[in-house]
Amino acid sequence: MASLDRTARSFLLSELVTGFALTLKYMFKPKVTVNYPYEKGPLSPRFRGEHALRRYPNGEERCIACKLCEAICPAQAITIEAEPRDDGSRRTTRYDIDMTKCIYCGFCQEACPVDAIVEGPNFEFSTETREELMYNKDKLLANGDRWEPMLAANLHADAPYR
Amino acid sequence: MTADLIRFFTTNWIGQAIVIVAQCLAVTIPLLVAVAYMTYVDRKVWASIQLRRGPNVVGPFGLLQPMADGLKLVLKETIVPSSANGVLFIIAPMIAFMTALVAWAVVPFDDGWVIADINVGILYLFAISSLGVYGIIIAGWASNSKYAFLGALRSAAQMVSYEVSIGFVLITVLLCVGSLNLSKVVLAQSGWFFNWFWLPLLPMFVIFFVSALAETNRTPFDLPMSEAELVAGFHTEYSAMTFGLFFLGEYANMILLSALGAVLFLGGWMSPIPYAPFTWVPGIVWFAFKIAFLLFIFSWTKGTLPRYRYDQLMRLGWKVFLPVSLGWVVLTAAVLQFGGWVPKL
Amino acid sequence: MPKIKIDGVEMEVPAGITILQACELAGLEIPRFCYHERLSIAGNCRMCLVEVKPGPPKPQASCALPVADKQEIFTTTPMVQKARKGVMEFLLINHPLDCPICDQGGECDLQDQAMGYGFDRSRFHENKRAVPDKELGPLVKTSMNRCIHCTRCIRFATEVAGTEELGATGRGESMEVTTYVEHALTSELSGNLVDLCPVGALTSKPYAFEARSWELAKTESVDVLDALGSNIRIDTRGAQVMRVLPRLNDDVNEEWISDKTRHAIDGLRYQRLDRPYVRKGGKLVEATWDQAFTAIVDRLGKLEGSKIAAIAGDQCDAESMLALKDLMTALGSPNIDCRQDGAKLEGGPRGSYIFNAGIRGIDQADAILLIGTNPRWEAPVLNARIRKRYLHGGCPIAGIGLVDDLSYPVERLGMGPATLRELVDGKLGFFEKLKAAKNPLIILGMGALARSDGAAVLALARDLADKLGAVREDWNGFAVLHTAAARVGGLDLGLVPGEGGRDVEGILAGCERGEIGAVYLLAADEIDTKRLGKAFVIYQGHHGDAGANRADVVLPGAAYTEKPGTYVNTEGRVQLARRAAYPPGDAREDWAILRALSERLGKTLPYDTLDQVRDRLIHINKSFAAIDQQQAGGWGTFGAMGPIGDAMFASPIGNFYMTCAISRSSRTMAECIASREEFAKRSLERARRMG
Repeated sequence: MASLDRTARSFLLSELVTGFALTLKYMFKPKVTVNYPYEKGPLSPRFRGEHALRRYPNGEERCIACKLCEAICPAQAITIEAEPRDDGSRRTTRYDIDMTKCIYCGFCQEACPVDAIVEGPNFEFSTETREELMYNKDKLLANGDRWEPMLAANLHADAPYR
Repeated sequence: MTADLIRFFTTNWIGQAIVIVAQCLAVTIPLLVAVAYMTYVDRKVWASIQLRRGPNVVGPFGLLQPMADGLKLVLKETIVPSSANGVLFIIAPMIAFMTALVAWAVVPFDDGWVIADINVGILYLFAISSLGVYGIIIAGWASNSKYAFLGALRSAAQMVSYEVSIGFVLITVLLCVGSLNLSKVVLAQSGWFFNWFWLPLLPMFVIFFVSALAETNRTPFDLPMSEAELVAGFHTEYSAMTFGLFFLGEYANMILLSALGAVLFLGGWMSPIPYAPFTWVPGIVWFAFKIAFLLFIFSWTKGTLPRYRYDQLMRLGWKVFLPVSLGWVVLTAAVLQFGGWVPKL
Repeated sequence: MPKIKIDGVEMEVPAGITILQACELAGLEIPRFCYHERLSIAGNCRMCLVEVKPGPPKPQASCALPVADKQEIFTTTPMVQKARKGVMEFLLINHPLDCPICDQGGECDLQDQAMGYGFDRSRFHENKRAVPDKELGPLVKTSMNRCIHCTRCIRFATEVAGTEELGATGRGESMEVTTYVEHALTSELSGNLVDLCPVGALTSKPYAFEARSWELAKTESVDVLDALGSNIRIDTRGAQVMRVLPRLNDDVNEEWISDKTRHAIDGLRYQRLDRPYVRKGGKLVEATWDQAFTAIVDRLGKLEGSKIAAIAGDQCDAESMLALKDLMTALGSPNIDCRQDGAKLEGGPRGSYIFNAGIRGIDQADAILLIGTNPRWEAPVLNARIRKRYLHGGCPIAGIGLVDDLSYPVERLGMGPATLRELVDGKLGFFEKLKAAKNPLIILGMGALARSDGAAVLALARDLADKLGAVREDWNGFAVLHTAAARVGGLDLGLVPGEGGRDVEGILAGCERGEIGAVYLLAADEIDTKRLGKAFVIYQGHHGDAGANRADVVLPGAAYTEKPGTYVNTEGRVQLARRAAYPPGDAREDWAILRALSERLGKTLPYDTLDQVRDRLIHINKSFAAIDQQQAGGWGTFGAMGPIGDAMFASPIGNFYMTCAISRSSRTMAECIASREEFAKRSLERARRMG
């Protein structure tokens, strides 16, 4: 009896019909995709986007050239050179991130003891040339200045879980 | 004056040439536009099955997307691999594209609306669609690439396998019509929509449609260009407009087989209900509507079914479709003979 | 031999060692901060606590407790763990969380041990103490907040360097390590304080914030800035040498290196020759190798061999000196010399020009005579070894010639060769002390040999050694202290004038008189270039110094960090230097330049690879086969009896910090000199004020 049933089903293409019915049903369901450039999904405070170097409220740059981010970077995207500044403090003379190497793992911001290097909420920084993706210290500091309110808010929001 | 014009276009060879060219353009241009929008519809249908939106950025509702894609293909550089056979490499997509267009000469769009109303229309179609495989084989060979070569081999084997069953399907229809002329095939189905051949020959219609999928290398039979193992199959090495020609040819073939399906099983240009107001609608609209319906099923299939394994594909062609269609031919012939329904010519 | 049990394992250890040393023999590492193998035991950090039975029921400082028979030692019990954690917490109370900005980060004992014994947060909520930083000169940077008062620096300065300039004031929380009077350290070994400091309180000033330990590529090599051949580790980042650290070798430098060795490396960045130059119209013009070689071939091709001369510099590797000698031989020139200072060392057995006793032999000497040498400037690490011997007691030390403060008392016998003759004749009291000594050591410096009567002085010293019985089967107390790293290698290879050849003095005189047409200077800068006259000068070297200034063709060579080379130190020990970085620009390895030039001159040298050159080295002198070993030199007659002058013996080194092209180009060395001058000026003022 079971084999007859199976044969009948097979000849009547019941599995195919079921499948086609299912996809037809889905065709009329509401879309789940976000209409991206016009609407955007929510971002977690932990979102890891474009990098930025932050400053203290008094304008002093946070980075102290400890090179921990350079050491932890699994893609070796960060290059730092340091020397004493005129006032004797330890500062970078060069802080480069090769954004084409970066894998956005967030280890750099985890390693940073002073919350200087952070990955901000910005993910829309595509460029037309590769050169533009070789970020230097000026670019990173400018990013920090531009995104500081959101960066600070994100760090504050995530602080209780650290 | 009018008579002069009529005489010019019917007797003067220049006039006749102008008419033929005009007729060709009248078929080709809407066909190419249809191909373009077929890609759009395809993508929209798959998108909605997957709960996505599909193209919606270029133009209103993304309607200019096919134009943008076409423009891109035209503007890109045609790359001929250094180890490829240059001449055949260029000729192959042309063959694929031309065979897809040439077949349209015998398709009746409405009563009497056919460029070449020849008595062996079906045979002609069958021959031309078999020629299409040459484009693919030449492409695979000329590319001098393993992927392309394997894709071409698969494509050839697959087409040969399914042409056999398509042949038997056509024979079944011919038995019922008693003519090879496509217009006569349509006229033989006049009446209500359940008079059309799809219902009495339902298994044949299914086999025809599935074989059509295989003939056009569509899912679930798109093994010749299965990206997981062959990158892009026979057109792996093609870029820009050479690729574009394959693409156009493939979609034109799809539309052609849909048109054939409409002619053979869905009553061609006929209205489904043979009474006013349905009969007021021009036949070509009904024809287009039926083609569109079949094309939608093409897309729907692609959105629903996964790809066959190659041995499964061969098994289906040779061990299922061939015996079933052969049996149906015998059955139909027997019923016609002993039922006394043999069409009178 | 006491029998003890460490963590349940019974073992026998030598008597008199401490529990910490016994644990090390057992393969256990005891955490420590204040304890150091080469310094006296202080026992003040308390990190090395272990549990010892029998004994009081409390943990004991293992570094300061000698082993005793039937002791049971536990290093991992809960009591020990708890005690160490407690000590660590106390140490960290006042230690700032500076790790990210501290140069010690990544190679810090406190950091490492805090990973094992530290707590992940502080329970100390009061203010941390703040200590003003001290000014210790241009080499040592201080950050006294980080100091944990292990007193290693104080003990090093006092015991090893012999400059009692560091000490501690206050006690408890207000203890501070400081200089008694605010001034830069005057030791030539001050750089070692940085290595000793287990935390980041003392760090290297020239290297401040430049690199992290983990970014550096480490190459084990040897030093060439003095003749000691100190074993060093060269740390590089990319093409730049970032720092030099000592490598442990008890036979040579223990674990110290001099400040020049450590800090002159910034000279490798400046004044470098990175492409060939050819003099055109009185000016050196940039050229290609081909043009430079063509210019040389044009001149040398026309000259007969006796009109060509070559001088090898003080830092040349044996390979390039060999290539130079082979090239000169091929050109038919006997005029070759490696003794820029004119030292009269020639023709004798190998024992006549090496430090036969070995540096390690200093530890066994029981009377030392210094002739015409200032070891504190010529070889500071060797000087520290002599001081170590002095501290051990029972070793009278005397000197002939100008003897400065050597960090140990020296009996001054006289100033010149006449005094030496008196000593040889047994007329001086110190002769008896030397005679009484089992292992007398006579250290003969270049100040005594690089003079016109040098051969006579050498013969006198040899006589003295014979008279004292200083040369025996088991002891050879005749020791020549060189100042040039290349000298022993050059003498081993016979880079001295051949039959009818001229020495440096002869070459220069020949140039002045126009008898020498061309001079090949292989990194030789210590000659009077004004005396080169109208000769065609080819300079091959790495720095734009005196030689390059005068040269007609400059060929850019490699410095000691940039080529694999063989060096023989003053005791005749063959050591290999390895390449840590590549030479800048078009510069090449020196032997390869000579090889390429020989081909252009039509006298192709018979080697194409470094291995082949080294095979030839061994072929010429077997001692080159014994890497890192000191080969005994022979003994025989050498020197020449003759009239002696009455000039004083003077050290050839007038200025410790600048003795070669590298150190002359170093800004750090210039700062050291400025600091010394400032110190001298202030001392003078202070003396004047106090009347």
